[in-house]
Amino acid sequence: MKKSVLYGLLLPGLLFLGIFMVIPIVLTIGSTFYHDGTLTLSGYTHFFGDSYFNQILLTTVVVSLITTLLCLALGFPTAYYISRKTARSKGILLAIAIFPLLTSPIVRSFSWMIILGRKGLINDAIVGLGLSDKPLDILYTPTAIVIGLTHLFLPIMIISLVGVLENIDTDLVIAAQSLGASRMSAFVRIVFPLALPGIVIGAVLVFVGSLTAYTTPALLGGKQRVISTFLYQNAMTLNDWFLASVIAVIMIAITFIVVGLMNRAARQLNPKG
Amino acid sequence: MSKKWMGFTMATALVSLTLLAGCGNNANNAGESPAASSPATSSAPADGSASPDAPAGDPTKLVISTWGFSAEFFDAEVFGPFEKAHNVKIVLETGNNADRLNKIRQGTSDIDVVYLSDYYAQQAIDEGLFEKIDPTKIPNIQNIFSIAQAPLGVDYGPAYTVGQLGIAYNPDMVDKEITSWSDLWDPSLKNNLTMPNITGTAGPMVVDAASRVAGNSTFNEDAAFSKLAELKDNVVKFYGQTSEFVNMFAQQEIAGGPIMESYFKDLQAAVPGAKFVKPAEGGYAVMNTLNVVKGSKNKELAEAFIDWQLSKEVQEKSAKAKVDSPVNKDVQLTEEEAKGVTYGAEVIEKLNKLDMAFVNKNIANWTDRWNKEVAN
Repeated sequence: MKKSVLYGLLLPGLLFLGIFMVIPIVLTIGSTFYHDGTLTLSGYTHFFGDSYFNQILLTTVVVSLITTLLCLALGFPTAYYISRKTARSKGILLAIAIFPLLTSPIVRSFSWMIILGRKGLINDAIVGLGLSDKPLDILYTPTAIVIGLTHLFLPIMIISLVGVLENIDTDLVIAAQSLGASRMSAFVRIVFPLALPGIVIGAVLVFVGSLTAYTTPALLGGKQRVISTFLYQNAMTLNDWFLASVIAVIMIAITFIVVGLMNRAARQLNPKG
Repeated sequence: MSKKWMGFTMATALVSLTLLAGCGNNANNAGESPAASSPATSSAPADGSASPDAPAGDPTKLVISTWGFSAEFFDAEVFGPFEKAHNVKIVLETGNNADRLNKIRQGTSDIDVVYLSDYYAQQAIDEGLFEKIDPTKIPNIQNIFSIAQAPLGVDYGPAYTVGQLGIAYNPDMVDKEITSWSDLWDPSLKNNLTMPNITGTAGPMVVDAASRVAGNSTFNEDAAFSKLAELKDNVVKFYGQTSEFVNMFAQQEIAGGPIMESYFKDLQAAVPGAKFVKPAEGGYAVMNTLNVVKGSKNKELAEAFIDWQLSKEVQEKSAKAKVDSPVNKDVQLTEEEAKGVTYGAEVIEKLNKLDMAFVNKNIANWTDRWNKEVAN
């Protein structure tokens, strides 16, 4: 096929992305530097100069990072196991892993409210076993947000990892072991570096998802805000679209920074990857 | 790692960002009353009969923006009869105050009549989003309590219901009997209280109540906020929607908090022993208003609808169904019927009323202070 025809095939997608994504994002970013008729950085200096905003940002990033690490810790063994199975059972296992995605985040958050609440399953068990005489406060804390988000994004991590892990040739591991590598070192020096692209994609998806999630923190979180609920407050109930745009741009910036850092770390761990 | 991966990772990240941002919107309807997603009301009856004085021809479309609670009641007793009498097809848009006001702000909707609490209606008035009404077209205004006739000025719509913000609690979970706003600060409510968020209708009322509890007869902002900051240990969560309150109350995550009297029936359904308290310092009047949206092509019809919502017939039915407290002076309720509604001229006149123009002028600042001093 001619090159021009190939470019033609790209056109619809590019147009769609350009009109509905690139232009709005550029406009949003532009609007944050223009306030009350003048070019200004005041939106950002105001935001970063305020300890309350910084606190929200910190809470959000910490919650997102913990969620990402948890998803990785739980998702990697699962994905590794699935990737070593035959095609048939792989399909079934993957379907089971993805199954939670079919339920809306709202329903899942409500389920967690019932599980984590004072009269919930976990507290019933803790009090029943005599581990504590009073129910623990889990619901309406950042811990509850982390639990909810981990449940929400674990399937995404598993899918990202399975895709990469199943393409790693088992012969490589066997070869390493035959040359004297222990199982552990074969894993660390062969499987893990080769799995890095999947880990990065999974981690980015989970991190970005956690950073921008609204439903779960709104329902499971307590007095502390995260950045998405704060953005909602500004945009929807205060009608302060300027600050809301500033927050949105900061969220985009964080995303790019984190993606960049992860890629960099991946490059260092596996320069040939 | 190759450039290709980097590019792909970036792209997936961006796509997921957009996708997830889109999902977020649903959340806000989630806590809405179950009926919030109800579609438009039923159209004209199948036999096509209309009342004799209704205009003939195709029905006019009247778009009404409302909360969506008690949808069945409104369909059957408010919207349905009006459609029949005026040869109108009512189309509903539902959602919470803030969302619906924002929709009007965008200027792309064709809403004719909007139900909003006074706090949000005042914002719309300040931004010039409402038509001025002609009170002579709404004769029933003369038949309602004076407090409800022109809560936001004579040019704008009346309040069709005046409810009260008081305190509801579960006596099994608190040792102390709660009788006043100041009791919310009692240590017996530690980790047992929910408070309305500042951005909701009840938020500014709570700020005013805190000022009173701190011992001020006129509003004192600093005293109010330092008093509210002392509530930190008691509050589990600040609620944005009444349904959140009801959920937490039913699950016994909280012992209680400030709530509108009209929602008390939902609490009682979950916890039969629940109590509603009219605080000693006075409850707060929550007024829900009706207004005509600027640019409405059906202004007269809209005014006729407002008149109908104020009529004795509708007011009596909604009071008896405990949907809304009546403001029409002609509505007579027995003691049993008046349970759970804010009823009677002297009860309503005694309620504390906030100056919504003052609230709106200060709300951005209050929200900032609330975020930093109270809700963290």
